[in-house]
Amino acid sequence: MKDSNTEQCSCCNPCSKDEVKPDPKSPDRRKFLGASVGIINVGLLAAIAGPVLGFIASPLGRKRSSKWVPVAALEDIPEGAAHEISYKLAIKDGYQDITQKYTVFLTRQGDDVICIDPACTHLGCRVKYQDDQKRFFCPCHGGVFDAEGKVVSGPPPHALDRHKTKVEKGQVWIQREV
Amino acid sequence: MPELLKPEDPHTLSPERKADTTRVGATTEEEIQISRPSLRDWLDLRLGWSGFVRKTLDEPMPAGVGWWQTLGNLLMTLLMFQFITGFALAMYYSAGTQSAYESVKNITYNVPLGSFVRGLHVWGSTIIVLALVTHTLRVFFWGSYKKPRELTWLVGVFIFQVILGFSFTGYLLPWDQKAYWATVVGTRIAATIPVVGDPLLNLIRGGPEVGSLTLTRFYAAHVMLLPALLIGLMGIHLYLVRRHHIAGPVNPQRGKPEPFFPNQLFKDAIVQLVGVGLVIYLALSMPPALEALADPTGVDVAPRPEWYFLGLYELLKVMPAGFEIIATGVIPGAVSLGMIFLPWLDRSESRHPARRQWIIVTGIAVILLIGLMTLKGLLDTPPPHIPAPGHGTTISGH
Ligand code: HEM
Ligand code: FES
Repeated sequence: MKDSNTEQCSCCNPCSKDEVKPDPKSPDRRKFLGASVGIINVGLLAAIAGPVLGFIASPLGRKRSSKWVPVAALEDIPEGAAHEISYKLAIKDGYQDITQKYTVFLTRQGDDVICIDPACTHLGCRVKYQDDQKRFFCPCHGGVFDAEGKVVSGPPPHALDRHKTKVEKGQVWIQREV
Repeated sequence: MPELLKPEDPHTLSPERKADTTRVGATTEEEIQISRPSLRDWLDLRLGWSGFVRKTLDEPMPAGVGWWQTLGNLLMTLLMFQFITGFALAMYYSAGTQSAYESVKNITYNVPLGSFVRGLHVWGSTIIVLALVTHTLRVFFWGSYKKPRELTWLVGVFIFQVILGFSFTGYLLPWDQKAYWATVVGTRIAATIPVVGDPLLNLIRGGPEVGSLTLTRFYAAHVMLLPALLIGLMGIHLYLVRRHHIAGPVNPQRGKPEPFFPNQLFKDAIVQLVGVGLVIYLALSMPPALEALADPTGVDVAPRPEWYFLGLYELLKVMPAGFEIIATGVIPGAVSLGMIFLPWLDRSESRHPARRQWIIVTGIAVILLIGLMTLKGLLDTPPPHIPAPGHGTTISGH
């Protein structure tokens, strides 16, 4: 057989030469149509990728705002040791409005209150306070913090985060992001 | 009714007819009229099925191929089981923070056979990871990733990552304490990457905290994205395995290649029986548990990831402050890149382990490191300075 095209043909009927041969008379037309198909495909990809990626990534655009929350009465917090206090907050969790419980550690010196967030600064586990040792311990990778929240040992890169506090009419408020 | 219009049923055909239909080709006009093809032939003409089956059964196995080469098919079987049990579980599961835990509890304690089906899925994932690691190691030591099988290996590495993705996303779905805290820590790993860390964390979690959007994201990945990726990758992997055939032992053995059927297929079946039997045994003898409902305010036990992430977990413990990126990014990244580029890092012509020493030594070092860290994680009880519940001062206001 002279024509390799017919030899390679995988269909069952013998096929004619012209069926598979590129049209040599209009190579430009071939190029043009090929490029058009390419452009159309890129357009189709963009048409689906753009909206879907924007949709998926939308949480990135959400702004957080800070809010003052009353958490405890000043007189309920004994002086010295860190005290775990839990409070509830109405938040928007994705598609639902829920009341989420949070905890913080409050330490009081006179009328000053410092508020330490329990999220370990390493990878976010909740630290626990040991009264007898005056230390915070992280259950995950062994991070240890002193009563002020400063790193004593372990992998955490920096001190425990603090929330701003204020005391008004015997009520302790903390500021947090929502 | 004229006989020719009767419904096709090979069993009712007369013996002569049957013989007729198996003939390679009817020639005369008359013969074409009479020899109605059997259903098998009818389908075969359209699907080319018998050729495919024959080619598969005749796939040449070089001398020396045996039990070690059964792991790939074991993986396929286990993954098929995983798809089926996953599909069944999805019928009773509900991916919301208010309902996920209850729905899994219902599956585990109320739905007939629920504990068993969930057990098959949970233990299946563990056995799949074991089989996957073994399959990868056997390919590594046989040097089967070398020319022309580089892309078979590369696709395999992607499959490996997809499987780890399955287990990471699946772990959150029950929404119990273990699930929640492992995900809080696991996703925070993304935040340790410089510059893009924080947006990436938000993207993965669907917000700054692990919450309802994290759950739906993980669910969508677990049941849609990852299965689609896996099927595609497995298809390419198997196509490439067939295209290049299985590599023989590193020291070519005497003897002609044997067809896949019956010897190798029989070995495959035995291994599948043992593998599936093991999963069933584990599902029955150690039914899956459920911890307390996820509680963002605290953990009573040290949160631990799935056992095959324990190596990473231990690595995180030993990294000094400020260097966590080494454990979260540099080391896992180097291992992944090393796996991806292995066929191009190892330039030696020979597949023999003695003639690619540095690759083998590095490989064994990495395997030992991961193995030992994982073992340490398995043996580690929660740190001793965490007292039993009830000791600390926990005052709940409001
Ligand atoms: C679920 C995942 C996987 C499935 C279903 C699968 C399936 C298979 C099958 C059926 C074979 C042929 C029989 C055998 O050697 O066992 C094979 C061979 C192979 N696999 Fe996989 N595999 C998977 C994952 C992987 C991974 C993670 C890698 C590497 C990182 C890999 C690399 C290879 C290579 C290079 C071969 C060719 C071996 C040779 O020619 O001797 N596979 N795979
Ligand atoms: S999360 Fe606290 S030490 Fe790692």
